[in-house]
Amino acid sequence: MFATKPSKVKTLGKAFAIFTKTIVQMNGISASYDSKNYVLKDIRMSVDRGSNYAIVGQSGSGKSTLLRLINGMMNPSKGKIMVDYQTPNTSDKKFKSLMHKIGYIPQNLGLIKNSTVLENILIGALPRVGGFNSFFKRFSDLEIDNAKKILKQVGLQDKENRKIYMLSGGEKRRVAIARALVQKPEIILADEIVSELDHVTAREIMDVLAEAQATMNLTAIMVHHDLQLALEYADRVAVIKEGEKILEIGVEGDKIVDFQSGNYTQREILEMFSGEPEE
Amino acid sequence: MNQKNNLIIGLIIAGVVVMSANIDADPRDFVEGLPNIGIILEEITEVDSSLFVTAFWAMLETIEMAFIGTVVGVAIALPLSLLAARNLNRKFVYVPIRALLAATRTFPSILWAILFVIIVGLGPFAGVLAIIMYTVGFIAKLQYETIEAVDADPMDAVGAIGVSKLQLIRFVVLPESASHLLSQILYIFDYNIRQTSILGLVGAGGIGFYIINYIKFFEYGKAAVFMVVVLVTVLIIDWVSVRIRDKYIVKSQRGMQVKT
Repeated sequence: MFATKPSKVKTLGKAFAIFTKTIVQMNGISASYDSKNYVLKDIRMSVDRGSNYAIVGQSGSGKSTLLRLINGMMNPSKGKIMVDYQTPNTSDKKFKSLMHKIGYIPQNLGLIKNSTVLENILIGALPRVGGFNSFFKRFSDLEIDNAKKILKQVGLQDKENRKIYMLSGGEKRRVAIARALVQKPEIILADEIVSELDHVTAREIMDVLAEAQATMNLTAIMVHHDLQLALEYADRVAVIKEGEKILEIGVEGDKIVDFQSGNYTQREILEMFSGEPEE
Repeated sequence: MNQKNNLIIGLIIAGVVVMSANIDADPRDFVEGLPNIGIILEEITEVDSSLFVTAFWAMLETIEMAFIGTVVGVAIALPLSLLAARNLNRKFVYVPIRALLAATRTFPSILWAILFVIIVGLGPFAGVLAIIMYTVGFIAKLQYETIEAVDADPMDAVGAIGVSKLQLIRFVVLPESASHLLSQILYIFDYNIRQTSILGLVGAGGIGFYIINYIKFFEYGKAAVFMVVVLVTVLIIDWVSVRIRDKYIVKSQRGMQVKT
């Protein structure tokens, strides 16, 4: 664990964080868009390095906002958030170098429709390319080889020159994943990446992500609509309801365990969801 | 609701009538003047075909002026429009740029041409400068509006990687708006050819110089030759730009198919 970290441990806090393996820590986070209605209320959350963490909730429960707090695209109105020992702040140079290492896949994927697959995923390499070269779209052979390797990894090896608007929904998601992986990320944030897909394609996409997560040693924080799917892939699942985290559960063996309070039995947890219509 | 609409339409019509009376625009004058068309038609039929060669070269000069003016104008407008877009810049950057562009737009091209004839003298160069000024003011506005309409999702997703603004422009803004920008450039080129055709009226070069001079001496037949050449050229360019649009632009916007 320590051997994989070449940089010297400088501060006590940093040493402590490595010791505790925590990569994202939220303490009493509240967030709002209009200073009146909170979309998130007093969220406490701790994500382990290299784990697969899922956030589940209905539409409008504030789960997308949670991801945007982690990459600094939004600031909390209350509480403290630490991502890899730093407070997210997009205008801070130090945090910017961390942003390069956070792959963010928004719900609408944010692909460039008129560009090719390869051009889209090379965007992930931009932080490593100088301003002059990137203006002329010049990438080193090393970067292009790496990008092609990742295309193969996500199963798009023969589609590098296709334009995005020619791809299927599943293929588009693979491109978005590839763009994030080209960043050589430490964290991947994915917002409802499989919500609009059929069951078979959804599992294919989740398998691609799970494999990348395992082989590249990343932390995945993913927002889902479907609790069953989340439990299948994630180590831990936080359930958000109306901006509050009501449960933190996971599967141990064949049992669902409540990590947050330990107050709920498996039956009670399942009963909580049986009333909720899932799509 | 309906009554209110009727009232508004009635007021607009009343406005047209009152204002027409105010500027002495009397439809009866038009009817009385109709026979004069006969004079023009009679003159036009005496087309002097030996002038077609002159007209061809004058038209070529006009196209060259419009082409240079469009290319240079767009080259100046694009960076300005990137600076004027509110989704890419802070207020203290886009406000002065927008004010500058708005000021440029207040002059029609013919006034710019008069100004440049005073500065650089008679001839096509003054016309080219006028077209550049008009193109900058006009196309930069269209382009910054297009840039502001670029989908926020890719801007967000790529912005979250922490790339530089120049990289964001090169990899998101330009590819996402390219087809619209190209369509606008074709449009302004088309428009500039028509504009350049009249700049000769103030001595700023192009085919308009011949047209105005022949009309001044009541040689409608000779003027007609030049007008026919303008008409045919504009139709050809219109047709070519429709083809370019169909081939490169319409298809890339949402993958739409055009029935041919």
